[in-house]
Amino acid sequence: MASVAAALGRWAAPRREIVRPVLVAIAIAAAAVVPLLTSRPDALNMLFLVFLYIALGQSWNILGGFAGQINLGHAAFFGTGALVTRSLWAKGVPFAAAFLAGGLAALIFALVIGVPTFRLRGVYFAMGTLALAEGLYITVGNLLPGISTLPLELIVHYDLGARYYLALALAVATMLAARALLRSRASLGILAVREDEEAAAATGVDPVLHKLLALALSSLFAGLAGGAFAYHEVSYYPNNPFNLVWGFDAIVIAFVGGVGTLIGPVIGAVFYTLVREELALTLVQAHQEIFGLLFIGVVLLLPGGLVDAWGRVRRAMRRTPRGS
Amino acid sequence: MSAEPIIQILVFGLFVGGLYGMAAVGLSLVFGVMNILNTAHGELLMLGGYASFWLFTLWGIDPFVSLLICGPLLFGLGLLLNAGLFRHVSRLDGESKIKNSLLISFGLSLILQNLAIQFWSADERAITTAYSGLGANLLGIAFPFTRLAGLLAALFAILALHLFLQRTYVGKAIRATALDWEAAAMAGVDVQRIYAITFALGTALAGIAGTLVSLGYSIAPSIGLAWTLKALIVVVLAGMGGILGALGAGLLLGLAEAISTFAVGPAYREVVGLALFILVLLLRPQGLFKRR
Amino acid sequence: MLTVHELDASHGDLQALWQVSLTVEDGEIVALLGPNGAGKTTLLRTIAGVHRPTAGHIMLHGNPIDQLPPHRIVEAGVVLVPEGRRLFSTMTVLENLEMGAYTGRARKERAQTLRSVYDTFPILAERHGQLAASLSGGQQQMLAIGRALMALPRLLLLDEPSLGLAPLVVQSIFDVIGTLNRRGVTVLLVEQNAYMALEVAAHAYVMEQGRIAAYGSGDELLRDDRIRQAYLGYGPAEAATL
Repeated sequence: MASVAAALGRWAAPRREIVRPVLVAIAIAAAAVVPLLTSRPDALNMLFLVFLYIALGQSWNILGGFAGQINLGHAAFFGTGALVTRSLWAKGVPFAAAFLAGGLAALIFALVIGVPTFRLRGVYFAMGTLALAEGLYITVGNLLPGISTLPLELIVHYDLGARYYLALALAVATMLAARALLRSRASLGILAVREDEEAAAATGVDPVLHKLLALALSSLFAGLAGGAFAYHEVSYYPNNPFNLVWGFDAIVIAFVGGVGTLIGPVIGAVFYTLVREELALTLVQAHQEIFGLLFIGVVLLLPGGLVDAWGRVRRAMRRTPRGS
Repeated sequence: MSAEPIIQILVFGLFVGGLYGMAAVGLSLVFGVMNILNTAHGELLMLGGYASFWLFTLWGIDPFVSLLICGPLLFGLGLLLNAGLFRHVSRLDGESKIKNSLLISFGLSLILQNLAIQFWSADERAITTAYSGLGANLLGIAFPFTRLAGLLAALFAILALHLFLQRTYVGKAIRATALDWEAAAMAGVDVQRIYAITFALGTALAGIAGTLVSLGYSIAPSIGLAWTLKALIVVVLAGMGGILGALGAGLLLGLAEAISTFAVGPAYREVVGLALFILVLLLRPQGLFKRR
Repeated sequence: MLTVHELDASHGDLQALWQVSLTVEDGEIVALLGPNGAGKTTLLRTIAGVHRPTAGHIMLHGNPIDQLPPHRIVEAGVVLVPEGRRLFSTMTVLENLEMGAYTGRARKERAQTLRSVYDTFPILAERHGQLAASLSGGQQQMLAIGRALMALPRLLLLDEPSLGLAPLVVQSIFDVIGTLNRRGVTVLLVEQNAYMALEVAAHAYVMEQGRIAAYGSGDELLRDDRIRQAYLGYGPAEAATL
């Protein structure tokens, strides 16, 4: 955890103030240009997935990485957002409103369960969220067993580019929100709660308030991601976005990339999607096993994830004297 | 409406409750002694089920006989997993240890589940023996042999575990380590060795439960999560009740689920257990396991 | 017998022991005195292997034991009776004693050792089937010492055996310590009650803030007013009323 904090500090270091924003701007601009250069659905869909995973991973990271609350039921927020967005939109509500409503629904749901469950100590919170998400998955599967397909007119006017840009905007928005949180006054309280909740409380930090703040942002963006999913998929089973795997993917992405850092989920999402695409043809399930191994490796050996690994490589390179 | 269908459902609730207890004791043991929450417990159960399934399918070994093979096999697997993974977190303290063990076992569950899909496909499997369709019939209530024997096997195994912990020297050392590992170390107990034995035992117990599940019900690579949750629910319900408490809580859960089907129907059976779990978690905020 | 050489130890980032050196000769009773927080418990725990030192060595009969796990140190004959007793509360008196004999050497002679422990502490024989938590403070202390004796210790480390006990009980505990010593058990004793400790101990070390501050025979330390006032707390007149 110490190396995570250090990684965090490095990312926020002031002297990089000029280089990083420029690089980020270039990356976003490049991503924005892609649909203008190609209209191949497989490429656009893959990037859509990358952006979705960035949002999903970062939203988990806000609660799990910054605030240290391991949420195993993240899929519940994703699913809620998807459900509300899809239901409203299919009934004729303008998509923008349905999209925001989805995020809001996830947020409200999270706060409702957050207030009582945050009384639980760490591992009980994890167990509770796991049980809640599983219960929700089963219930939705029971209540809405039929497949959800978009009304014909929406299919006819399906524009993959719009989905692409929505996901890109969402990914950028999630990153900005996370960055804003880290730079806010609340960030010290949140990180203090992560390190030692009792010690934080003893110094006057209200743990519940800070955890709720992290939970609010986490659930909001997970819900919006769910809305993006509902926008993108032509037909799916309503309980699909409630499948716990969505949450598990977010956790793996956050950790492998670098949990608790700002850029970790981006690296994790890109890496995850690439590996999955690569292996999809040959060994279908292998990407899960590989990431499971990487995940364990990160937890045991490299808590800072790939961000930290990269940092170590750079430091090692800097230590090598020139001309040797 | 006659009493028989109601009693039948309750009897089936008891049968599955015995398995719930069996699934829970391994998790309870490991958590109580090592302070490790193994969220891959359900996947270990799944592996035990598959081991028995293949022993039966390939070589015709009866599931109850295969327990004698699967038990030691999974014991060995447990030793490997402990040595490779959980040993590294055993030196951490309190919150950090639980958190890291949670994460590691989470990664393990992903790996095991997907390995199972890769090797054995995602299809459901079940062991169908010659006696699978047979059963006793008492006063109009059916007692299928597979489920009855499963319950008896679970009771026997749990009782044996209880006696092991109460009467044998190693068992007492395990109990002492659970109570106060430092004091146990100061008394001359090799705590790392006890941890290894405990984890291996927990894995073997999960495997035995898996065998019983594959015989009386069915298994698939995806059942891990559901069974981990079941075991968690039982452990939380049992609280400080120890091994026998876990059995009792398992039977109780099985009955509670059965009774609930009259109210909400079979589709929500699982949800009842999960709701009960969350309720117990919330109403006992001081924590159910009083760690010193 | 036991040599601690320039030992450092820390609790996380906080250093607790600074270059601590001491020696305990075979057959001695050595006392370790000092105020709360001086590091006495940390030192005993480090010797027992429950706490890892960050620097320095601990030698038993010339062999280093500072990197050994606790159970091997017990096997080598160094046994700690911890502060607060740390009994297995929901196990019986007999089971607690049995646990003490877990190592190979002690296990072989378990039955015999048990008889001798019952001789030393008849009350334990009486209550052998009772849960440890149901014993009185003094009986619990006897059980803790009895458990340590089951391991056949050559060096017994005692951390605050008199804590929370009535004076009469304390006296009987110290009588037992004296008897054990006469039977050949070397003792390193941490005690708040300096006067009682110096009654049985030939020599004493005084610790303060993680360092050894003074060393001498009981008489020497008692005669030194400075040390008496700074570390031993009470004057002899007050001590007599304890």
